[in-house]
Amino acid sequence: MNMLNPIFARLNKMPRAALITIGLFVALGTFAPWLAPQDPSTQSLLDAGLGPSAAHWLGTDHLGRDTFSRLIIAANTSLVSVGSVLGVAMTIGILLGTIAGYHRGWVDDLLMRVVDVGLSIPSLIISLAVIGIVGPGYWTMVLALALAWWPMSGRISRAVAVSIMSKPHIEALRVLGASPWRIYFGHLLPGTIGAVMVYATADAGTAALAVATLSFLGLGIQPPTPEWGQMLVDALPYLESDPRQVLLPGLALTAAVIGFNTLGESIALNRIPKPLTRRMLAIRRAEVASWGKENSDA
Amino acid sequence: MIHFISKRLKHSLVLLFMASLVCFTLVVSAPGNVAVLIAELRGAVATPGYVEQVAEEIGLHKPLLMRYVDWLGDAVRGDFGISYRTGTNVSADLANRMFVTGTLIAGSAVIATLISLALGFLGAFWPYKLPDRVSRGLALLGASTPTFFVGALMIYAFSVTFQLLPSFGFNGPKSWILPWLTVAVLPAAVLSRVVRVGLEEAMTSPFVLTAKSKGLGRTAILFREALPNITPLFINALGTQVGLMTATAIIVEPLFAWQGLGDYFLAGVRFRDFMVVQACLLIFLTFFIVVNLIVDLAVLLTDPRIRRQWS
Repeated sequence: MNMLNPIFARLNKMPRAALITIGLFVALGTFAPWLAPQDPSTQSLLDAGLGPSAAHWLGTDHLGRDTFSRLIIAANTSLVSVGSVLGVAMTIGILLGTIAGYHRGWVDDLLMRVVDVGLSIPSLIISLAVIGIVGPGYWTMVLALALAWWPMSGRISRAVAVSIMSKPHIEALRVLGASPWRIYFGHLLPGTIGAVMVYATADAGTAALAVATLSFLGLGIQPPTPEWGQMLVDALPYLESDPRQVLLPGLALTAAVIGFNTLGESIALNRIPKPLTRRMLAIRRAEVASWGKENSDA
Repeated sequence: MIHFISKRLKHSLVLLFMASLVCFTLVVSAPGNVAVLIAELRGAVATPGYVEQVAEEIGLHKPLLMRYVDWLGDAVRGDFGISYRTGTNVSADLANRMFVTGTLIAGSAVIATLISLALGFLGAFWPYKLPDRVSRGLALLGASTPTFFVGALMIYAFSVTFQLLPSFGFNGPKSWILPWLTVAVLPAAVLSRVVRVGLEEAMTSPFVLTAKSKGLGRTAILFREALPNITPLFINALGTQVGLMTATAIIVEPLFAWQGLGDYFLAGVRFRDFMVVQACLLIFLTFFIVVNLIVDLAVLLTDPRIRRQWS
């Protein structure tokens, strides 16, 4: 629970709208199987391409599947895959980052050079290259995206680990004769995980986008499992006659990403000192001016 | 200055070497026997004897280092081997595809620059007022909307509803507009924030105070004092975005039925055509390195502070 305290403290400063969007996304994703009014993969060609009605709140797609249910189940698909991608990526990133931060020296140089290269290549190209070599599939997608994502958390956890290692209590532990294992697992790792978790939530939006993009390209989530990007590409040939089926999944995905991006921005802003407002500037000026006065008095 | 350029060139060469190593390793470590694939491509029954013959022919028995040197020598001369799927030379229409993707990226970079400068200036001119809020909102929307959704919306708006522009094909400037706009949305959104934040920071610097006390107006200060100051920053960010555009091209090119590099790469990934994936990856990585080099040189030209540091 102690680990979560900084997260709660920061939550108060978040924009409400973003929190509501994310809350909705997570709630829908978690309880999707119970919330969806109909089976998302039941086809009924007689009801294909219908508009909104009492039976189908948001209409049906070209195979007569209920769009509303599919959208909800897609939130679940998205949430689960984003969770696994970030889980794997953060495990790799935190492990390598803390090792680099603990060990420093050539290990640090080497790992951070790899991280630099990884960050400079677009994640889509990395993940596509991995999928191209290994072959498509759900777990390949998770692995490919995690490989593209870990440098981010690696860099952050290295920075956090370095700052923790320079704190006096680590030095005190060393003096007390604590083993490297105790320092690493007892102090360095827990501290780093807490800090990196916050950033990971901010990254979830781009991860959701990447999952949807791979599914859109036909290399991520495979049909019949509903996923927003894949629903969109499915409906694309019918854009002219039934644009609703393209717009709805696109809007759902955009809303989720906007929520996470806003959250990420405010996390970044709370970390970076804000530029001085005019009032603050006036106070500072008054302060500086008063120094001059003291000097002249003296 | 020459010292900087030579150092930077050496750095790029090292990166190029590492990129080639990554591309080579990726394909060497791929599962499956390449010789069997090629033997089957040639229409023959893949008998062990024939497979052996093919393996001998393409040099699979040589040590890895020799294979790398051979491969690199061929790649530098523009020969990327044969496609495992079609049996044709990978480099056959690579130039044409590079031209298509180049058109896409160049046009989008120009559009993104124009839009982002306009939005950024709008925000910086009326900070925290309505125009600023609108530009900020547009930036958030542009940065959060998936590119494939932007493309679908563009096609729906301009091709289906208003029937103004063609929704597919690479024939003439009219068919270029929609893909250009689609690719430009994300970088324009990101860059507009760079311009806006950069200008705000520049406007608080002492030299702006000097300009103000000289009696210069806000417009004059923004364009004559703040704009040159954020140019290096902008070029840096633009370089990153141009690099990212290769990824966007992979999504946008199939959407608009463009036969570009991105489309080729995607097809290679779909059919696990290693040679195509390898060739495209090497071109992409080379492109990033070259773009970074150009960015660094451009920053050197536009930032007198860095220029002085190196002369």
